Amino acid sequence: MVLNPYFQQGSKSEQNLVQSLINEQLKIYGVDVHFMPRKYVSSDSVLREVSASSFEDAYPIEAYIDNFDGYGDNPTLLSKFGIEQTNEVTLIISKERFENYISPLMKNESNIKLSTRLKEGDLIYFPFGDRLFEIKYVEHEKPFYMLKNTYVYELRCELFRYEDEVIDTGVDEIDDTLEASEGVDGEDYVIGVTQKLTLVGNAEQASAVTTQVHGGIQFVTVTNRGNGYTHAPRVAISSAPAGGVTGIATAYLLGGIVVCAGSAQPNSNKSVVQEVNLVNPGSGYTTGPDMQFYGGGGTGLAVTSYMANGTIGIVTVTGGGSGYTTSPNITFTGLSTVSAAATAVVSTAGTISAIHITNAGAGYTTPPTISIAAPTGTSSGTFAFNEIVTGGTSGATARVRTWNSVTNEIEISNVDGTFSREETLTGSTSGASRVVRLIDLTNYDDGFGDNDVFETEGDDILDFSEGNPFGTP
Amino acid sequence: MFEYFYNEIFRKTIIGFGTLFNDITVKQEDSTIKVPLAYGPTQKFLARLEESPDLNKRTSLTLPRMSFEFTGLQYDSSRKVTTTQQFTVKDKTTGKNTNKAYMPVPYSMQFELSIMTKLNDNALQIVEQILPYFQPQYNLTVNYFHQ
Repeated sequence: MVLNPYFQQGSKSEQNLVQSLINEQLKIYGVDVHFMPRKYVSSDSVLREVSASSFEDAYPIEAYIDNFDGYGDNPTLLSKFGIEQTNEVTLIISKERFENYISPLMKNESNIKLSTRLKEGDLIYFPFGDRLFEIKYVEHEKPFYMLKNTYVYELRCELFRYEDEVIDTGVDEIDDTLEASEGVDGEDYVIGVTQKLTLVGNAEQASAVTTQVHGGIQFVTVTNRGNGYTHAPRVAISSAPAGGVTGIATAYLLGGIVVCAGSAQPNSNKSVVQEVNLVNPGSGYTTGPDMQFYGGGGTGLAVTSYMANGTIGIVTVTGGGSGYTTSPNITFTGLSTVSAAATAVVSTAGTISAIHITNAGAGYTTPPTISIAAPTGTSSGTFAFNEIVTGGTSGATARVRTWNSVTNEIEISNVDGTFSREETLTGSTSGASRVVRLIDLTNYDDGFGDNDVFETEGDDILDFSEGNPFGTP
Repeated sequence: MFEYFYNEIFRKTIIGFGTLFNDITVKQEDSTIKVPLAYGPTQKFLARLEESPDLNKRTSLTLPRMSFEFTGLQYDSSRKVTTTQQFTVKDKTTGKNTNKAYMPVPYSMQFELSIMTKLNDNALQIVEQILPYFQPQYNLTVNYFHQ
């Protein structure tokens, strides 16, 4: 024995006293942080990395801030990848407090890997500035074996680089770190990549009325679809005889397929005319009037129009309704020899903006009643932040980041699968259920990505269809 | 001698380059991420305004990200033809007149595309979606002038 046997270099009671004093000091001079252990959801053993993580628990614990004078001189860097916040913090946490209080709670949690100590990769929620720090290194031997023991963990932490980790601890002040805040021009500022869906707000049935006329245009058949149209041509109809009303019609294009008559080609921006519908059948005609077409960039379109007595007149939309995702069925109820038929035009806002007549009918003596089918699905409820939403048809899932009940837009992250239009989106905790009306394919993120800008600007100047007919070099 | 003209040729080429990579996604265990892409050089005050509007950035930076940059110009003598040569094309708007132009001067623009990801697998997914299109070149028609 070489040490002086009359002195104890650290008895258990002395060690306990030091640990108690440290614990007390941390409780007096520390701050309350939350320790969030990483759950290893899946990992790639070839590339040796954890490909999916979640943070579902948060344990409050006192910590002393070692870098009490701040984060350092240059906390913000501008790199080619945008603004990077490089805050670093060093925290001191009592070893005994962790082992006695947090370890037993973590022990039976799944996918924790190791519950006996703090680990690199775990997170610390730092209340000042509402920040998430990732533990980069755990120093456990500082101070170096005072009385033959170590008493604290020194955690060297850097601000967390977020990707798609699930943060759902149940502690609001932590979970709302990922909640949207107000950004530039009042736009939502959301951390990470999100996708925006527009849902149906209140579904309301649309309504319309019509009249009954004599000598109206009953319908128009396309005898030659023409070819080379880039946009729908304007339709000019011969004037009605004196006392009558001249009809109005609109043409619809058909593109992307090969048809027998015409030159619509797959992947071409040129189209043929699919049909000519009536906006107003007019009145007072004695035969089907002539029709001419202007503009549209194509040629060769030819149609024949037919006149009938007792057709419907112009259809007026009296209530546009709301929440329409597709064109609803329209039925005409009234005594006639040929029943009228029409197609509703759904606006981008989900209302019925117009009704185009495909057949004005014949033999009506009084104006028929029009009924427009109600929007499909039910839409109600308020989605909650961070809840999981599921698409009824696609089965796709995602987490809610923001829900705007005024614009009916929902921003979602952690999207698994592909949502489809017209399906019902259901919230797992709120029970809210709404029909998907529009899917925005551009991504929204925290102010960095300009993908949609390149897409729109590129559309004006790029021509993917053009190629050198003599071959590519 | 030199009169003012500006056809945004470099700007349009930058847009053309960016459009090639603006729709790349990475798929993981339970999420699909469309990789944000931006032109690297920016004004610091603008970046700060857009990326940390309330000054209090709660996380460091989100990943994955892609960024590209126009890094240089090089005269390419191998593509140069005589300055007196002209070419004539039909005016697309009228279909009757013809436009005559002298041969352009050939320069090669150099770009650098950078990818930053958290996971190796994400980087591999991105690179694998890009490389097969370049054998070794990828041709893209950019309409530099109004048609």
